[in-house]
Amino acid sequence: MELFATLTINGVATGMLIFLIAVGLSLIFGLMDVLNFSHGALSMWGAYFGLWVYKSLDSKLIVEQPSPWLSLLFFIIGIIAAIAIGAALGFFIERYIIRPVYGNHVQQILITMGIMLILNEMVKLVWGSNIIHAPAPQILDGSKAIAGIDVIKYRIMIILIGLIVLVGLVYLLKKTKIGLIVRAGVSNKEMVQSLGINVKKVFTFVFMLGAGLAALGGMLMAPFMNQVYPSMGTEKQLLAFVVVVIGGMGSVTGSALAGVIVGLTEAYMLYFFPEAALAVNVLLMAIVLLLKPSGLLGERS
Amino acid sequence: MVKLYNRKTLWFILITIGIIIPFFIDSQSQLLLFTKIYILAVFAMSYDILLGYTGIISFGHAMFFGIGAYSISLMLKHLGESWINVLLAVIIAIFLAAIVSFIVGILTLRLKNTYYAMITLAFAELFQILALKWRSLTNGDDGFNFSSKIPDLLKDRVNFYYLSLLFLVVMTILLYRFVKSPTGKVLVAIKENEQRAENLGYPILHYKLISSIIAGVVASLSGAMYAISYRYVGSNFFGIDKTIDALLMTIIGGVGTLFGSIIGAGIINIAHELLSDLAGLHPIFDRWLILFGILYVLIVMFFPKGIMGSISKYKGLFSNYRKQKTWTKDNSSLK
Repeated sequence: MELFATLTINGVATGMLIFLIAVGLSLIFGLMDVLNFSHGALSMWGAYFGLWVYKSLDSKLIVEQPSPWLSLLFFIIGIIAAIAIGAALGFFIERYIIRPVYGNHVQQILITMGIMLILNEMVKLVWGSNIIHAPAPQILDGSKAIAGIDVIKYRIMIILIGLIVLVGLVYLLKKTKIGLIVRAGVSNKEMVQSLGINVKKVFTFVFMLGAGLAALGGMLMAPFMNQVYPSMGTEKQLLAFVVVVIGGMGSVTGSALAGVIVGLTEAYMLYFFPEAALAVNVLLMAIVLLLKPSGLLGERS
Repeated sequence: MVKLYNRKTLWFILITIGIIIPFFIDSQSQLLLFTKIYILAVFAMSYDILLGYTGIISFGHAMFFGIGAYSISLMLKHLGESWINVLLAVIIAIFLAAIVSFIVGILTLRLKNTYYAMITLAFAELFQILALKWRSLTNGDDGFNFSSKIPDLLKDRVNFYYLSLLFLVVMTILLYRFVKSPTGKVLVAIKENEQRAENLGYPILHYKLISSIIAGVVASLSGAMYAISYRYVGSNFFGIDKTIDALLMTIIGGVGTLFGSIIGAGIINIAHELLSDLAGLHPIFDRWLILFGILYVLIVMFFPKGIMGSISKYKGLFSNYRKQKTWTKDNSSLK
């Protein structure tokens, strides 16, 4: 029972992290038809940069008395820094690199692949190619007994943040004006533009949002894995692709659902049969592609 | 401007240069560099069939390269040195690559081309994990050396150099014939405007599958050659780095020209060699991929035809390619 609960919580937490990375990918694709191959690299930049901010604040400012609350504050500042760098990179990439090639799919995909290459190498240049230890802040470290089961606090926090983001995104898309424009853009871009709405600004907004969320996902993932390393972006991106295909391009709730499915599969397979973890997820993706190519909750066929 | 040479004389000159190179090079490593260039040029050309002639992007092309490499190494390692095993390994490599590319293609090519990019990436990752985890067969991450099992004729560096040159020439001729054939013309039509080709009554999926299978088979052959030249195989043969190599060589050389891939292979590998020597001077040279990444992005943005395409545009050297547009314009999207 305890094993079951631990694995499930672990799986849901993993799922939420992948959801954070995948949802931006999914929205960007749904709205702009851009398959962003640099998404994983953006999330890795969030992880490295946020962790760097957090660790340098933590080690420089606390000299005499380590204070757990101050440490938590620095961690939150690190998270904000991660989102900021993600959104800033997203802005730059969309505005100056992807925008010139809109309307040309092949060029778009190729260019995002190039950005991925550059971002990945830049991480190695700035922070080195070795694994870097990523500690959780003291308050979130360790576990707490809930109903007789030891639950790791940090994982609960990830699940909570994931849920908040999910609710926030659904609210943003369903209840606000910009959300209305985004949804309309997903179903018919030309119509939105002919109604006199500046679609390009919406594109930039969505790209920044997606990149910021990916960076948040990366930053939260760092203490979850206890480390950051230069190939993490590409690795997690693959899972994000699987999630986007299973959940359906352009669907927020689909990404969340598929994220949890993929996360649970990961957690259980890693425990019982680690070699086949990715294989099962890819197989799942292949089945969805065969039976319902638009994904579980995707609207367009 | 007076045209001093036509295409045939150009090829003749290039092949002659290729033949006399070993007489001027003493060092083994330089000979190996040229061998590597020829083999990777074939790999890049196979990628060009997909990207430049059909308009499909694959991010897992390394999986075919790896399939070829592992087929030949495993056959020779476990069944011993013999020409029959070499032949058998080549047949297995072709067969496996054809099956895998067929399965991946049938799953994804009826959807948007973007799915093909994602799913080839996932499949390549699966193959890499298989190579990593099936330790009893593949020796995991370390890979294995099989130099003692290679027939002596192939072991000689000069012999193998000529074999690679022959391989490049034969593959170039075959692929040129393929892209000039009626099937190749349909592929270009699909790249230019998929909707139009479909409305003209061509079964799109059928043609895309042909392209994907041919690209896969050629890539697996180049992988087999590569493994023999290095006498070693490891799980990094399936890695994304190999796909990125193919992508860089094709894009920088010029897509949709085949010859561009050969130029690209030469540039990338020679530059890699030179930059590695400079690595001691400044750490940026250690991260030489950044330079290529930036070059790559600039080329995709400003010279989408690459070196060859741009040359032919300005000089009219390869007049056949002059009128071809290089990229697919999707007419449904915003300009």
